Amino acid sequence: MPLPAKAFQLWLHGVAPTASTADICRISGIKRTTLAQQLVRGKVAETTLVSISRALKRSPLEDLAWFESYSELSGAKAPTPAELVSQIATMDLLRAVISRSSPAYGGYGDAGSALTPELSPAPHATSVRNWVDAIDDGELRHRVSAATGVAPQNYSAQLTANRLSPELAVATARAAGVGFTGGLVATGLLTEREAGWAPDARQLALDALSDGDLTALAGERLQSLGKTLRRQEHEHEQTKKIWENLG
Amino acid sequence: MATLEWATLLVCCTALILRVPDAVKGRNRTVFGILLLATLCSMLAVTPIYEAVDRALGGQHATSLILRYLVFATVLLVGLRVTKGLAAARGHALIAGAAGRWALALCSLAVLATFLLMETAGAPAGLQVPSAASNAGVAPYFTAAGRTYPAFVSLILVPPLVAAVRSRQPRLVRAGALLVLLGALFAALSLPVALVPADRAGGLGFVNYAAVLGYVGGLVLFWFSGLIAAPSGNAKATLRRNRD
Repeated sequence: MPLPAKAFQLWLHGVAPTASTADICRISGIKRTTLAQQLVRGKVAETTLVSISRALKRSPLEDLAWFESYSELSGAKAPTPAELVSQIATMDLLRAVISRSSPAYGGYGDAGSALTPELSPAPHATSVRNWVDAIDDGELRHRVSAATGVAPQNYSAQLTANRLSPELAVATARAAGVGFTGGLVATGLLTEREAGWAPDARQLALDALSDGDLTALAGERLQSLGKTLRRQEHEHEQTKKIWENLG
Repeated sequence: MATLEWATLLVCCTALILRVPDAVKGRNRTVFGILLLATLCSMLAVTPIYEAVDRALGGQHATSLILRYLVFATVLLVGLRVTKGLAAARGHALIAGAAGRWALALCSLAVLATFLLMETAGAPAGLQVPSAASNAGVAPYFTAAGRTYPAFVSLILVPPLVAAVRSRQPRLVRAGALLVLLGALFAALSLPVALVPADRAGGLGFVNYAAVLGYVGGLVLFWFSGLIAAPSGNAKATLRRNRD
């Protein structure tokens, strides 16, 4: 459920009492028509709030927590190591595997952890699914769908598309009993810094993984990437066949 | 009705002209052939053109027989191409195999038989179905026979087309499949419409034209989607794209 327009306007008046709507739109890069439409409908998207909060150099996390539906965000728990690792891109994980390998294979051996190339910022191409997988105890999807009324197949479809509404991300975190920032970072609503994560939190979590855990995790990621690529290739073959015969 | 006839012809001509450069280059000439046949068919479906052609052929309404066979040829080619393009092996076998050949042969015979049963000589010119008063009993069967084979092929095409519409292909491809699907459904619907007395069929006379428009429009969309997607090639399924 996006933010109620009334509460949003109250918040906006509180943080920028003198700014006109036009000013707000100009500094935050939101189209005036978009904002006007959201206000008329009575529902303001979370991304709108985050953009304005960023433009005003405020903390998007605290501003989100100001709203009733996100009040749990204040004093949010820190992400678990598994959540942090889930926000590392597959290619970065593979790079870490190579870095830890013996110099003969282009690695640095035991010093590998310290010399791993810098991680690309979250979120990555499969952030959302990897985050949910990282906190899933096997029953999570059922609990989320029971709590929110979202059909399991719709939830899965969102994960596959690497999307999750902020509301569902929070509901997922609640159902899993983890901190609320993980999902918001995984969906790209907040950056790691805005979520209050330490700059090297993901790197530290990665370094803490044993060689076996890292390799197994990288293997799982590679396998699902392989599946995705094969499906895409298959679909592309089908499309090409249509074009060859009917185009 | 006259507007619809001309509009269908216009759409077919446009599609045909769009495909001329590709046909000259030798790319997918079968589709060009399909469009050429479809254009010929919709030409003969326009009353003034039909009259002129029929006068040239001796005023025996042989043109209406020719029109039916042209439609059969078009539908056969469309069926073979669509089942091949959508990798519908079973549908392809049904159309190209024994069942399809029997259907084509029987429909051709039925059209010829009903045509010969009709009194064509004295019939008033200008109607695609010779409709002298004495023909009132046979004429609907002539029309129905002419629509049976298209309905047969169209029904075979429905399942693979539904699958294509629901697939994860590019949007324009799915839109093209949806148009062809609509065309197929209208073509199948045109058979029962032919057997309903004209005064009770109401506004259903348009189904023929809707079928042609669906098929031709779908082919144009397939062509266009391929055209705008051509440069990027296989870019979708690469590791690079999954990295960011």
